Amino acid sequence: MISVNNLYHSYSNDEKYAVKNVSFEIKEGEIFGFLGPSGAGKSTTQAILTGLLQLQKGEVTVAGYDIKHIKNEMFNKIGMSFEQSNVYSKMTGKENLAFYRKLFDVETRDPQELLDLVGLGNKGDIKAGEYSKGMKHRLTFARSMINNPILWFLDEPTTGLDPAIASEIKVIIREQNKKGVTVFLTTHNMYIADELCDRVGFIVDGELKLIDSPKNLKLQYGEKFVEVEYLDGKEIKKESLSFVKKDDIERLKEILDNFEIQTMHTKEATLEEIFIKVTGRELV
Amino acid sequence: MNRKIFAIFLRDMKVSTRDFIALYIIAFPIIFAIIINIFVPSVNDSTVIIAMLKNDNPEYIGYFKDYAVVELFDTADDVRNRVERRDNIVGILPEKDDYYILAQGNEPEGIVDFVKTLRAYEYFGVTSKDTSVEFVDFGNTIPPIKKLLVNVAIMFGSVLGGMLIALNIVEEKIDNTISAINVSSISRGGYIIGKSIIGVLIPVVGIILMLIMTGFGNVNMLQIMVLLLASSIISVLVGFIEGINNDDVMNAAGNIKILFLPLMGSVAGYELLADKWQKFFYWSPFYWTYKANELILSRSGNWGKISMYTIFIILISSVVFIMIAPKIRKGLEH
Repeated sequence: MISVNNLYHSYSNDEKYAVKNVSFEIKEGEIFGFLGPSGAGKSTTQAILTGLLQLQKGEVTVAGYDIKHIKNEMFNKIGMSFEQSNVYSKMTGKENLAFYRKLFDVETRDPQELLDLVGLGNKGDIKAGEYSKGMKHRLTFARSMINNPILWFLDEPTTGLDPAIASEIKVIIREQNKKGVTVFLTTHNMYIADELCDRVGFIVDGELKLIDSPKNLKLQYGEKFVEVEYLDGKEIKKESLSFVKKDDIERLKEILDNFEIQTMHTKEATLEEIFIKVTGRELV
Repeated sequence: MNRKIFAIFLRDMKVSTRDFIALYIIAFPIIFAIIINIFVPSVNDSTVIIAMLKNDNPEYIGYFKDYAVVELFDTADDVRNRVERRDNIVGILPEKDDYYILAQGNEPEGIVDFVKTLRAYEYFGVTSKDTSVEFVDFGNTIPPIKKLLVNVAIMFGSVLGGMLIALNIVEEKIDNTISAINVSSISRGGYIIGKSIIGVLIPVVGIILMLIMTGFGNVNMLQIMVLLLASSIISVLVGFIEGINNDDVMNAAGNIKILFLPLMGSVAGYELLADKWQKFFYWSPFYWTYKANELILSRSGNWGKISMYTIFIILISSVVFIMIAPKIRKGLEH
């Protein structure tokens, strides 16, 4: 669905690249997470893939279209939900969607149905300018589905949403994916990536450091831990011990033999921890 | 494609009716027409009007009717009241064996002199047969002040169309919606055309209404429209560039006013300067627009001249287009 080969981009048209030699492929029906801290090159890459930025160097095909010569018909196949909500504030939610659907040549979804889907069903007749930040974000998200895209670009889709709404958004993403929609998810939120993505790519300073499935990354880079709480005399003590290190295994045996266990949990490394381990950078 | 272009235009139209400044711009030609008709009623008068008494000597009244429009009243007070109204009208009232001229004092000197001359000619029994004067009827006499005001209003209307475009572009920038448009299947060209329609169509409709309301409804409307379309190129271009360069509605509206300088300069140059200075205004599309409008409003514009002026306007606008089109394209990328 997406093929990127040796992609470079410089905003200053010199050797200072915001994106350097990035290559990856995304298969049809996949949810691909593009992860990295702010300024890593995520949005630049996504902007090139969606035609918002002109391709300078490299080869990119999106939904079967060569990005060097973008055809307008390509946009009938893709949907884009922006990180910063961008809706017409002087138009109501319903008017926003009703206008946007007219800009496509394919069958589009009913605005009211989409508003219902994102929990704005009873707010459709209110001007978007009067919406809260989260509501605007949901409207932007709903708009990205209006043309029934087969390839869906989502830029920080849950940012600024309360946990309940964020959870609903994740459900919608999963449902769309089940229908065969390929998802390109850009985020710095490792939890949503871990929950949703089939594969993730780590990008830092414009370079793609690695791509794999969250499970493989955990197996390869994560260390399994057990967190144990035990009673030592009258005092409750807590230790975190590796499953791999010999000393830690011995220590765990010792605790089990000699103390009263209060709680014991196994703990896998998070994607965030793996990211830090692989890139040496935090996801800020 | 046409459906998408029309959708862009309809959206702009809908939003513009929700914005006070945009509404004012849309209504400007109508407001201006009302102002011309209400506050400058005398501009309708193209001939000298004389107020006289109904019971005056019919022969005497008949003499004046040959050379002016005569309004008749029952009493001297009625004549006095009529003369005191805002427009230019001169009264002739009997006094003993003679007549006197009643004027308000603010009438143009020529009108009062004309009535004085008519009085003298009547006294000496002079008629047109006794003179070598040749009467020429130009068919239509258009008052110059009214023609000038309507001409300027036509050009203002066109420039304000550009302002309407700028306001809508600024709105897109404030809401950051251009990026959403760029990931829809409308082409950049289609989007630009859709955004331009409001800046052309609204002035065309408004100006036609203004012409009808101010008594110019019988001018060649096709010529007016051809000229409006040509002169709106520059307004559309400036509307786009100001919309792109400004993040604030008031700044955009303020910056569009920069066009009023060459506009008024061209009008002043054409009206006030001698022929030898006219060439210094040839660069201004407003100069040619004003000249062409002048011909059309006088109902003396032939297609040859109108086409020539239209070509000049298009050529000058094309140079501006070549200069700023890349900036517009770049500005609409995000």
